Amino acid sequence: MESLSFANLLVLFITGLTTGGLSCLAVQGGLLASSLSHQVERDVAASPRRSAQLAAPIAGFLLAKLAAYTLLGFLLGALGSVFQMTPLTRAVLMLAVGVFMIGNALRLLNVHPIFRFFNLEPPKFLTRYIRRKARSSSEGLLAPVFLGALTVFIPCGVTQTMMALAVGAGSPWAGAAILFAFTLGTSPVFFAVAFLTTQLGARLEKNFRIFVAAVTLILGLVTVDAGLNLAGAPFAVSRLWQANSAAPTAAAALADENAPLVLEALNDGYAPEVLMAKAGQPLELHVVTNNTRSCSRAFVIPALKVEKLLPATGTEIIQIPPQTAGTVMPFTCSMGMYGGQIRFQ
Amino acid sequence: MRTVRFQVADMHCAACVMRLEGLEDELEGVERVEASYHRQQMEVTFDEARLPLEAITAAAAKMGYPIQLIE
Repeated sequence: MESLSFANLLVLFITGLTTGGLSCLAVQGGLLASSLSHQVERDVAASPRRSAQLAAPIAGFLLAKLAAYTLLGFLLGALGSVFQMTPLTRAVLMLAVGVFMIGNALRLLNVHPIFRFFNLEPPKFLTRYIRRKARSSSEGLLAPVFLGALTVFIPCGVTQTMMALAVGAGSPWAGAAILFAFTLGTSPVFFAVAFLTTQLGARLEKNFRIFVAAVTLILGLVTVDAGLNLAGAPFAVSRLWQANSAAPTAAAALADENAPLVLEALNDGYAPEVLMAKAGQPLELHVVTNNTRSCSRAFVIPALKVEKLLPATGTEIIQIPPQTAGTVMPFTCSMGMYGGQIRFQ
Repeated sequence: MRTVRFQVADMHCAACVMRLEGLEDELEGVERVEASYHRQQMEVTFDEARLPLEAITAAAAKMGYPIQLIE
């Protein structure tokens, strides 16, 4: 995925704001609170300036956390790009990420103890070290900043799924953007909870668990569908949807046999979603972009192993060899989020 | 020193493990806490002379985790 649209990042931000913040509160909120406790004790006189004095270390903690996760996203994206050989390998990765998300959702819903294995536990020595550090940290800005950066080693369930998504993105910058948007989303909740006890954090998480699970489940199903889409599987949900909606405008395009097929790559998908083409003859597919910024610019035809990064504005010509009648050729963006198909008759 | 094992209800992520293991810093007389999310159990090594067993149960309950002694 060469470019993430603003809408994609907004979804991640909102995920962080809603589910991520809540699910990460118990542990990371606790760290933040204990690193602040010295500050609170010192200012026990509760002068009106107390909140202002607390704001600086909280902001330090959150900024360090944001920076650490963005860097982590960059590294995970880079890791993903190493394996990013073909759309198919990426499809497999997306499927794995989706299964991981669904497993995490089922774990949160307590469906079966086996799903607990979907939650990765950080090594004991690390959690012990971080916990002790939080308790013994002295006042000042350095401790919260250090702890904020350390939270990268104790990601909660939802964050782990976001990390998997960053690997699946297959590019360092996309990975960084994913974790940046998500972590930024979790920040307001953290900021709010910094004034509350860790106890409340745990209670919140328990009460919102079903909600967190539902959102994770939906994200997982969408990711699996994107993976299927990218693999060119005919049974991806979004594809079945297209199969049932024969576009009348597309049928008209068949009238002129020698005209090239024209497909528009828009910010929110491809138009038309169904193209009709003549079987048994080579064809030219013109993919047209006009100020397109979303990931639809990374155009993939899995069956032909075509993968092109379209210009922001322009026309990319793709040669399609003769196909037998009845062939359905799916195309998609490199993340499998947008797609469509060419039907030969 | 005595080591006891508890069944922990309501442990639903690795974060809870970390919170429960924090008891070793919070309770005077606790030597070591090993919690497992996968097994939903927690093992506590503590000094009986300094800390009654009930204090551990109470502290865990206060954190929102009802625990039950299994051995």
